[in-house]
Amino acid sequence: MGLSGLVNPYTITALDGVAYGLLLFVIAAGLTLIFGVAGVFSMAHGTLYLAGAYIAWQLADGGWVGLGLALAAAVLIGAVGGAGLAAAVRPLTDRPLDQVLATLGVAYIAADGFSTVFGAEPRSVDPPRALAGSVSLGDYQYPVYRLGFIAVAALIVVLLIWVVERSRAGAVVRAVVADPGMAEATGLRTRTARTAVLVGGGVLAVTAGVLGAQVIGPAPGVDTTILVYSLIVCVVGGLGSIRGALLAALGVGQVLTLGVALVPGAAAFVLAAAMLVALTVRHRPAFAGRPA
Amino acid sequence: MAVALPWMVNAYVVSLAATALVMAVLAMSAQLLVGLSGQPPLGQAAYLVVGAYTAATLATLTSLGPIHLLAATAAGAVAAAVTGLVAVRVRATTFLMVTFGVGELVHAAAGQWAPGGSEGTHIPPVVALPGLTPMVRPGWVYLYVLACTLITGAAVIVLTRTRFALLLRGIAAHEPRVQAAGHHTSRLLLAAYTLAGAIAGAAGALLVTVTRYVSPADAAMGVSALALAAALIGSGSMIGACAAAILLVAARDWAGGLLSGHGSTLLGLSFLALAYLPRHRLAGLFSRRDRGRT
Repeated sequence: MGLSGLVNPYTITALDGVAYGLLLFVIAAGLTLIFGVAGVFSMAHGTLYLAGAYIAWQLADGGWVGLGLALAAAVLIGAVGGAGLAAAVRPLTDRPLDQVLATLGVAYIAADGFSTVFGAEPRSVDPPRALAGSVSLGDYQYPVYRLGFIAVAALIVVLLIWVVERSRAGAVVRAVVADPGMAEATGLRTRTARTAVLVGGGVLAVTAGVLGAQVIGPAPGVDTTILVYSLIVCVVGGLGSIRGALLAALGVGQVLTLGVALVPGAAAFVLAAAMLVALTVRHRPAFAGRPA
Repeated sequence: MAVALPWMVNAYVVSLAATALVMAVLAMSAQLLVGLSGQPPLGQAAYLVVGAYTAATLATLTSLGPIHLLAATAAGAVAAAVTGLVAVRVRATTFLMVTFGVGELVHAAAGQWAPGGSEGTHIPPVVALPGLTPMVRPGWVYLYVLACTLITGAAVIVLTRTRFALLLRGIAAHEPRVQAAGHHTSRLLLAAYTLAGAIAGAAGALLVTVTRYVSPADAAMGVSALALAAALIGSGSMIGACAAAILLVAARDWAGGLLSGHGSTLLGLSFLALAYLPRHRLAGLFSRRDRGRT
């Protein structure tokens, strides 16, 4: 048996689920930190992913140069977009509903712009030629790009967790999540931390769009889909918690791939139940949207 | 003037007006949650679609509109009572996030399970009262929807004058005080959520009456967002929410049609305007009057 016993349609689907889960984590990590640090639920987060996916479609031409250009553009646009969102929500501090409305307005205008510029049909993005083939795992063929994507995404995950849990900047971020008032009183620049998290989350989301365009390709409506799934990841993982988000993202990734293959049509119920269980078990005191 | 509308403008505007009334009912559903209990829902379209599919399924048995309306109301209430279990565990922005998640899951499930799949289903014209002919002309549909909207609105206004509504306002103002007075606030919120789901279900039955068609796209986030935005513009008042819903539908469909289909940009701009304008002062008129009543 050995390796070939392990490789069956279900493990292949589960591997897809890992790719999906890691992708969701990279997007949701930004969303959960933005909510934890800045208290903003950014409705434009899925829009940033979609922007990245369209960048990949526009610039990635099958060579390494195209991918490099797309990634550079993603970092730039992510930073500008994040800074723009930070500037947009700053006058609305302590008015969370208005922040939601403002980011929602941005998301609507951007979605209309995307479908005007890029058309209403879904676009498919080709991976770089060097990674375009497939490898055989036992009796099955698996796209090389997806394996590469899993490797790169895993690297981003490790880096991100290191930054948040080990670096000084991460300590500031966690301090602001835990107690903004106390963090400010001890002289931490919470305003800078808020802007930085929005910029960082923006860069992560757009980069995820470029890398993940082969997994979830650009199409109208993808922004909402991504927003919903990363939102569920945040809620199940605990708002503001990065490790919780990782576990939740891997779980949601499996539900959306392996779960759909095993029990078609049950994904929505499983995800709703997961939110219910997570919110019941954690049982926070029922006030305001601050993470405990 | 609202009654005379079908004799004043063309059929297209009349059917737009009927759609606007449906959104006004949905905005009242959102207002019940955000205006009274202070919890903003972003998933009311889910219950609208539950009601709409209930009405569409029932249309194969009977074409009697009021029966559709009652069944859709009940179905919306049941769906909200079940999914509300998740929502009432959290408050404020997290409430908005969770209701948004639940709404989108219902949207996804509708594409999977509902009759007709993502293509949706059509239904024949509805009969307003036994013995009448089916309503084919938009003018009659509009008058029927107007009557149903007024009845629903009257019921909601009665509701906002009850002790229950006062308790909900208490939750919005200071939840620990309400808890300390011996009330189970999560149960109160679940009741409010169920009632809001019932109203949204009723809006769903009216939607099917107007469009004679329902598809999972009716559960899209934009519908929920429009209802919530209308409720916020109305800032606490039911009449304000209805007026705002009608304005937003006019911006999205009528003005958007003039601008060759960029309705969602207009909607986005109105959300931005709503966020930045000092609406609490502008809409103080409505809310003061409502507060005086209760």
